[in-house]
Amino acid sequence: MRSVLLQFGFAAVLAAGACSLSGAQQPAEQPPAGQPAVEQRLNAVLDRWNKMSPEERERELAKLPPERARRIRLLLHRYNLMNPQEQQALRQRYRTFSELPQAEKETVRQRLREFRQLPRERQVTVHAEVDELRRLPDAQRQARYESAEFRGRYSPQERQIIKDLTEYLEPEK
Amino acid sequence: MGPRVNKDMGVVAAALDYDAELMLRVKDGDGASFALLLEKHRAPVIHFVYRLVQEQAVAEELAQEVFLRVYRSRSSYEPTAKFTTWLFRIATHLALNWLRDEKHERMQERLDDGPPDFPAREVSDRRPSVEDQLMYQARLAEVRRAVAGLPEKQRAAVLMHKYEEMDYVQIAKVLGCSESAVKSLLFRAYETLRARLAHMGRI
Amino acid sequence: MNCPMESHDPEMLVAYAAGQLDQEAVAAFEEHLSGCPECSATAADQMAVWQALDVWETPSVSPDFNRRLYHRIETEMRLSWWERLTRPFHPLVLRRILPLTATAALLLMAGLILERPAAVAPATKGAEAVRAEQVERTLEDLELLRQFSAARPGNNEHRDAM
Repeated sequence: MRSVLLQFGFAAVLAAGACSLSGAQQPAEQPPAGQPAVEQRLNAVLDRWNKMSPEERERELAKLPPERARRIRLLLHRYNLMNPQEQQALRQRYRTFSELPQAEKETVRQRLREFRQLPRERQVTVHAEVDELRRLPDAQRQARYESAEFRGRYSPQERQIIKDLTEYLEPEK
Repeated sequence: MGPRVNKDMGVVAAALDYDAELMLRVKDGDGASFALLLEKHRAPVIHFVYRLVQEQAVAEELAQEVFLRVYRSRSSYEPTAKFTTWLFRIATHLALNWLRDEKHERMQERLDDGPPDFPAREVSDRRPSVEDQLMYQARLAEVRRAVAGLPEKQRAAVLMHKYEEMDYVQIAKVLGCSESAVKSLLFRAYETLRARLAHMGRI
Repeated sequence: MNCPMESHDPEMLVAYAAGQLDQEAVAAFEEHLSGCPECSATAADQMAVWQALDVWETPSVSPDFNRRLYHRIETEMRLSWWERLTRPFHPLVLRRILPLTATAALLLMAGLILERPAAVAPATKGAEAVRAEQVERTLEDLELLRQFSAARPGNNEHRDAM
């Protein structure tokens, strides 16, 4: 009977964990003082994944088609290879991103995918433009969007990428 | 465990190919034989895949998949081809599929940064100078770019020919084409590489 | 001998540059080279290419490669036990694993029936559980952001796309 109770408790903890991942923070998962909640949630997903036993991770991955499972392993491997500073910087960017409303988040995802398809030299130019625009006050930024130079320099798709990423992503330090 | 009864050509092949014999033992549940095969072929497979995809983490993941597939196929394994031919066929298939994935289309461009996986290298028995290292890295980057610039089948053929020391017949079997097609692939590949790398002269 | 360049047959040239010809063949080929400037130049270039390719060493293999592989194999075997058990004919399973697996399965089922609340089938340990899809979504977003940052002018960050 004791073990039944234990398992019931275990299930309750599991349910609590699942809830916290979908948004509501449980008391046990309150972020430590000074650490933003969203970053904590990222920590929760990746760090907790890393803390799971290899058996548990493989069991989870086995639920996905092999190609997706392999891609997760690769991305995780790459993430874990980053040094702590790089991870921190990326987490910071992710934090801003994940605080966006769902529709805007999807827009940013779409723009980032389009950005990825640009030729390398255009990526660099577009990124530099985004950096530049973020430094400008709103009025000047709007004027830049309207300028003939801006229109002449970028394709309509690039202009959309620049505008959306400038508006939605936090400046990089 | 003794050798199987000689009933078909596969068994004859296995008798000539110690790896195939080991694989037949794996088929019969002998884990130690799998460990032997892994030990022997792990490095060549990883290195081959690494030179194809040019990223160590990816190469290791794909190599894991190669050996996993070997293990999975053990029950249906028949030594109809040389074991290494079969092994490299799986490796080539997985690596080329990975390269064909649209997400990896711009392989060539990303090499411009200089790869992250430079092996630590001693240029000679003396301690390499910074200049030696820089020169080595520049040459290595050039070689990698030149190889990455080859069409995928040519690339695979050159890597098997140069680094795995396979003959044309075996390369043909791995790539599933005729021996004359391999000759043609290699002729064109080396022609391209001569145009891009011959100026490097003696290293 | 036939000129390899004219016959578009690289075998001789490549083998020569790679030092794979026997003495007799080398002598014959070098005799041809002495009278064929095109082959002579190509052979020199091919030797240079061959040596240039020697530069390309490979990183060492991760020390835990085997461990990870064996782990995946073990996991896979555990996952597919039912499928392997129910296969129409599988000598290895029948001969070696079936009795053990069947006993283990019976014990496990008995344990589940006696001990487990019906609605819960935790795949992982309580609060530590993270679903693969969650990790996938997070990693994909991180990768998109990383690729964007990697295009920053002057950023030397490795920018491979995955």
